[in-house]
Amino acid sequence: MSMRSQVYEWDAARTNVSGTEMTTTQFGSALSIFVGGFGNNITKPAETTATQFCVIEDIAVTPSAFTMNAGDIAGGSSYRGLPTGPTTQDSTGIAGPRAYVQIRINTTDYFLDPDNVGNDGVPGTASPYPRSVNFQPCFNLYPDVYVLPGQTWDVRVTAYQSNNYTAGDLSAGDLQCFVKYTLYDGPDALIANKLLEMGISVNPGNVDWYKRTLIQSQGM
Amino acid sequence: MSMRSQVYEWANLSTSGNFMLRRGLNATAVAVPVDREISVFTGQYGNNITKPAETTATQFVVIEDLAASAYVGGAVQVVINTTSYFQNPDVTQQAGVPGTASPYPRGSSDTVTGTATASNVDNGVQLLNAFELTPDVYVLPGQVWDMRYSQSLSNVSADNGALGVTGSTLAVAAFVKYTLYDGPDALIANKLLELGVTVNPNNVDWYKRTLIEQQSAAASAAAAAAAGGAQ
Repeated sequence: MSMRSQVYEWDAARTNVSGTEMTTTQFGSALSIFVGGFGNNITKPAETTATQFCVIEDIAVTPSAFTMNAGDIAGGSSYRGLPTGPTTQDSTGIAGPRAYVQIRINTTDYFLDPDNVGNDGVPGTASPYPRSVNFQPCFNLYPDVYVLPGQTWDVRVTAYQSNNYTAGDLSAGDLQCFVKYTLYDGPDALIANKLLEMGISVNPGNVDWYKRTLIQSQGM
Repeated sequence: MSMRSQVYEWANLSTSGNFMLRRGLNATAVAVPVDREISVFTGQYGNNITKPAETTATQFVVIEDLAASAYVGGAVQVVINTTSYFQNPDVTQQAGVPGTASPYPRGSSDTVTGTATASNVDNGVQLLNAFELTPDVYVLPGQVWDMRYSQSLSNVSADNGALGVTGSTLAVAAFVKYTLYDGPDALIANKLLELGVTVNPNNVDWYKRTLIEQQSAAASAAAAAAAGGAQ
């Protein structure tokens, strides 16, 4: 198939390929979910070949909740499923990891602050993964992000609230990230490029429309 | 890329003092003044950026969504240059969109209660948005824009017994989602504005397609005319 819906889920506590679980020490640093060296990784950076075109359609990361700070909640408690700190004294007003997810194309960060400085990306609170009744999205990635042929792309997670977790390795589900993208390959990648030149959004519907137009113009 | 989805999240969290640039590890909630509009960009509470948000001559911003904490009468206002976007019917100042109408995060509660040992600190109500920013808010080239958070009650328990827990400060937040049009797409956005067409990625694409079709038609007509003249 030449148009394929693809997903990638990262969990800080898995060890596939990387061999290492993420720990609270890595909080504050942007970690690649593909080759960051922590959590489940893949063998090489994500990149498109000369005959591929990638459209990133959704990104999401573990949400956080705003609560009350300093000694309000007993140690080891949770707020709507998110940890609030291993000890009472550690509660800071945030439940969960306070995580953000950024897209990077080659060396350029996609999300910027209004002062044109690259930021941490989309908050998990705005685009939560997993989604629940308690945590629903108020962000959708529109317009989509295009990764052109030959480009390298990355998704980077930054979390800040390490004191909500017991020092050491994170547990499964503590910090997760999700990416949904569509991979266009071969002739469909050429059509995707053509659509891009024409200023038409690249999505499966428009690729099909372009094919139909070509077929009709040939009188078939 | 010339059309980009962008987000900005503000929270009253700081690692030292009342504010900090960007974000830091294990920040904690700070007190926010009551009934005072705080710029989420440069208000000197929580995470800030280096300068006010403004568009250059080749940029066009469309603000598509905004949200605020619902807990303590939080609200968020958009200010373009010196003009507040949301006004009372008698054209007087108001706080803006209440967090209860556009809660951040979606699904959060409007109530915070609890004890020093309670594991749940709200009443379990999940608020959804009753407000959508339609039509969007346009920030034209060269304009300065701001998002201002305000709250009608204190987020410090010593001043607000309704918080239910002594000696605590409540974390509050605001969120904005906008699309930044840059370069040629900003020019097209201006053109759409002149035409009275809504500025969104679909319509920018539509305008580009129209231009291409016109150029193709003109090229075809010129070729046909040239062929006719040669006969």
